[in-house]
Amino acid sequence: MTHLTSIDYLVILAYLATTMAIGFWVGSYVRSGSDFFLAGRSLPWWAVGMSLVATDIGGTDLVGVGGDAFRYGMVMGNFEWIGCVPAMLVAAFIFIPHLWRCKVTTIPEYLERRFSVHVRVAVGGVWLVLMACNLGVMLLASAQFMHELANWDLSVSIIGVALLVGIYTWSGGLGAVVYTDVLQGVIMIGGCLMIVVIGIAKLGGIESFIDKVHVAVHARENKTETKPATELRNDENYVEQAYAENHPFTDHLSLVLPVDTKSPGPWPAILFGLALVVSPGYWIGNQCIIQRSLGSKTEYDARASYVYGALLKGIIPFLVVIPGLIALVMFPNLSVDKAGGALPLLVGEILPEGLRGIFVAAFLAALMSSVDSYLNAATTIYVNDFYRRFYRPHADEGQMLLIGRWTTIGFVLWGVYFAYQMIPMGHTVYSLFQTLMSFVVGPTLGVLLAGILSTRTTSKGAFPGFISGLMTSTSLFVLNSEYAQRLLGMGPLFRIDAPYLYYSIWAFLVTVSITAIVSYFGRPDSPEKERYSLWGYKPEEAIE
Amino acid sequence: MTILHWIGESIRSQLLHVPLLTARCLFVGLLLVLMGWVVMLPSSQTTPQGRKFEWYEDLKIWAWVALMFQIIVYCSF
Repeated sequence: MTHLTSIDYLVILAYLATTMAIGFWVGSYVRSGSDFFLAGRSLPWWAVGMSLVATDIGGTDLVGVGGDAFRYGMVMGNFEWIGCVPAMLVAAFIFIPHLWRCKVTTIPEYLERRFSVHVRVAVGGVWLVLMACNLGVMLLASAQFMHELANWDLSVSIIGVALLVGIYTWSGGLGAVVYTDVLQGVIMIGGCLMIVVIGIAKLGGIESFIDKVHVAVHARENKTETKPATELRNDENYVEQAYAENHPFTDHLSLVLPVDTKSPGPWPAILFGLALVVSPGYWIGNQCIIQRSLGSKTEYDARASYVYGALLKGIIPFLVVIPGLIALVMFPNLSVDKAGGALPLLVGEILPEGLRGIFVAAFLAALMSSVDSYLNAATTIYVNDFYRRFYRPHADEGQMLLIGRWTTIGFVLWGVYFAYQMIPMGHTVYSLFQTLMSFVVGPTLGVLLAGILSTRTTSKGAFPGFISGLMTSTSLFVLNSEYAQRLLGMGPLFRIDAPYLYYSIWAFLVTVSITAIVSYFGRPDSPEKERYSLWGYKPEEAIE
Repeated sequence: MTILHWIGESIRSQLLHVPLLTARCLFVGLLLVLMGWVVMLPSSQTTPQGRKFEWYEDLKIWAWVALMFQIIVYCSF
């Protein structure tokens, strides 16, 4: 546990006050539903780009990735590097501009225009439930971390964060979310950079740090090899032999790990699951992410925001993974079962008072930037894809703003309620919901790609395709559970501990296959639907 | 062993034959392919339309820098 002084609390209060001020300042310009949900399509690329990165790194990710790096090493950096950058760049030049030109507010809305209302309801419904529940899960998981970090009461953290985020999101909608994310992103990057710089300096510089990681891992694994890693890297014979044995240096310093590694990142899962399915699905199909780009003021800003975000992503792993490795060297006796506590321990060990406050502010910034985005995205899907679509199709901009704000309050209350309901589940709840989220990403990407890249796919193919993909990932998860294995008397389907990347690959493949087969044998949709695919879009017939 | 186990085991045994160095080359190869694609993008897709622009507003440059950094990372770790 980290002891916070009055100087630390002053720093935290200053951060919270600035965040609220930005939220209210943006809120004073909100006059309509369009302002609330898409910031009046006025957002500049630099704000959207920073917001994309800040949203992606949640408070629980910050601490969780540090813990995973302590346990598994650099491989966790894949989730920010090849697990983000390629997909962001492809999205920047192909998918984001197309969705921006289609003038949609949500991904489900696009899917209705391209396919049918059934696809809209299926995709929107699943994402809405997951995002609403994830709100509560993030509030709880972060409160648990704050309890470990600074002994804050669970209720104070849950209600306090929900209230603060709820107020500025209620006031300013997407605009407030994006501009507060800019501040939160800067604080988050600064706070983590501080730990990395101080930590590496305390360990005697970069080369000494790498050597000590190598020694710490080998000591943990009871191996006798203690030759410095920097020497081994320059020893060609050692390198050749290590690669021949599929085991270079130590796994902790490698991004590419063997098929049977214990970490969640064997290379096929990272390359085929993360880089080619989960990451594109996340950066193209997650409303929470894409909504801010749809609110960009020009098509160029929408593209530039993703490119800027990809550039920022290049440095993020150094900020979230390295602290875990520093903790590994500093606390070699910390059990891997308690890896989640590595970062709080490190903060208490290396940061003086005042700077601890900055780190807690960075943690809160990472947490709030994700919670506000999920809150705003859940509100947008509910209001646009359900309330307006089925209940009030002719609601004017003023009514949309009003219902948007009431819905925000509703989701804040739901998030707090759900967080309390999940308390008995303890720390497992966060990883469970991350796995559930991964079920949806593959099928969503499948129908989106089918709709955007092909004029031939039809609504009659996309709907069963999406449902089949969901059933595939869910079935694999169930069949891989210990309960099902005992019941059916069989072994696990996957050999790694957390095979959610493999679920996504299979779900995506099934979605695309079913969509393609049913579309091929069915009648084509009307030309009006095909206009919404990339190849059916004609600039001279701009979509209004 | 079910049919699912058989499929999984077949794929796994094939992947086990792929040396890690080859796997690393696949990672870097993916990034190189993207670099080539970015370079070939028409400037209408990478620059602001309807106004004069400076060289640094060409997104091709920054996308290329982001990918170059990735290649260095995957060659180093």
